Amino acid sequence: MKLAILCCNYTNLSEREDLYEIAEDLIFKRFPCGGHIEITDILRSLREGAESVCVCVCEKGTCHNEKGNERAEKKVLGAKMILQEIGIDPERVGFFYVPRLDAEAFVEDIKAFYQKLSSGVADFTKEGKNK
Amino acid sequence: MIIAERRPIPEILENIAGYDKVLILGCRGCVAICSAGGDREVAILAEAIRLAREKQGRPIEVLEETLIRQCDPEYLEPLKELLPKVQAIVSLACGVGVNLIADLYPSARVYPGVDTSFYGANVELGKWVEKCRGCGDCIIDKTAGLCPIARCAKNLLNGPCGGSQGGRCEVRKDMPCVWHMIIERLKERGELEKLLEIVPPKDWRPAGGDGLRVRVRPDLAY
Repeated sequence: MKLAILCCNYTNLSEREDLYEIAEDLIFKRFPCGGHIEITDILRSLREGAESVCVCVCEKGTCHNEKGNERAEKKVLGAKMILQEIGIDPERVGFFYVPRLDAEAFVEDIKAFYQKLSSGVADFTKEGKNK
Repeated sequence: MIIAERRPIPEILENIAGYDKVLILGCRGCVAICSAGGDREVAILAEAIRLAREKQGRPIEVLEETLIRQCDPEYLEPLKELLPKVQAIVSLACGVGVNLIADLYPSARVYPGVDTSFYGANVELGKWVEKCRGCGDCIIDKTAGLCPIARCAKNLLNGPCGGSQGGRCEVRKDMPCVWHMIIERLKERGELEKLLEIVPPKDWRPAGGDGLRVRVRPDLAY
């Protein structure tokens, strides 16, 4: 399963090596702040081949830009609403507040999200083409 | 400002089902302010349409453009160059913009991307509330600036009705009774006697009951 991780650059510095256990194909996209992650970034990641997208931002109260992390949560909600409308499972998009620079918590959250999805998610591209 | 809301994406997809090259056309006027049809919403809808069509196995080319306004002919001039490049337009402007494109470019296949809802105010982030119905004959000079046509479910000119309870409307409990607010405000100002005047039945012709409304300023028009 191809997984896209959209992440605030200051939330975590983990790299794909830290996540070698879970995904064969990872796309890391780092942003200057969670507030800079747009709905289009989430949708585009799916269109470009990711089967799921994980958005990770700093915990509440720790954002450099005060509420960039909370804005990201709203953007994820907006993206999920659109996915619902166009018939794609919104659960493909995950959102996590993670402690700053705590690689272990970050990896654990992504691992849990990956495992949850890989147990029940089909390839939407194939589904679509079969219709 | 004019408040609009994006139409359900499946309806938009159905309108453009027969095309494989479309333009999503935003407007930087009211619909941008109410987060329904500005640059950001154009980008989101374009991406959603691309994703949905890829899912259907029928990829589509989507162009994105946002004009300063769609309710003035001069701001629609760029369409002369854009139209030959696409088969259809999804306009995220209010109904005014869609109508003007249809008037000026009769051959253009233009579809509405938003439902035009009401005239409202942005009372808090992400929330817009109706304040005016554009009825063409203001009475808010008598009602402390609060409009009973727009804000009373029964459009009462001499309120409140018998259903108002505890300052709430009987039609919807989450809605304040505007007539209750009017009376409270006039009381505070010592102007309650303004309500002794019985307002006669409203002439709805300025509200559109007399057909298409047109405003002409002779000192500007040629």
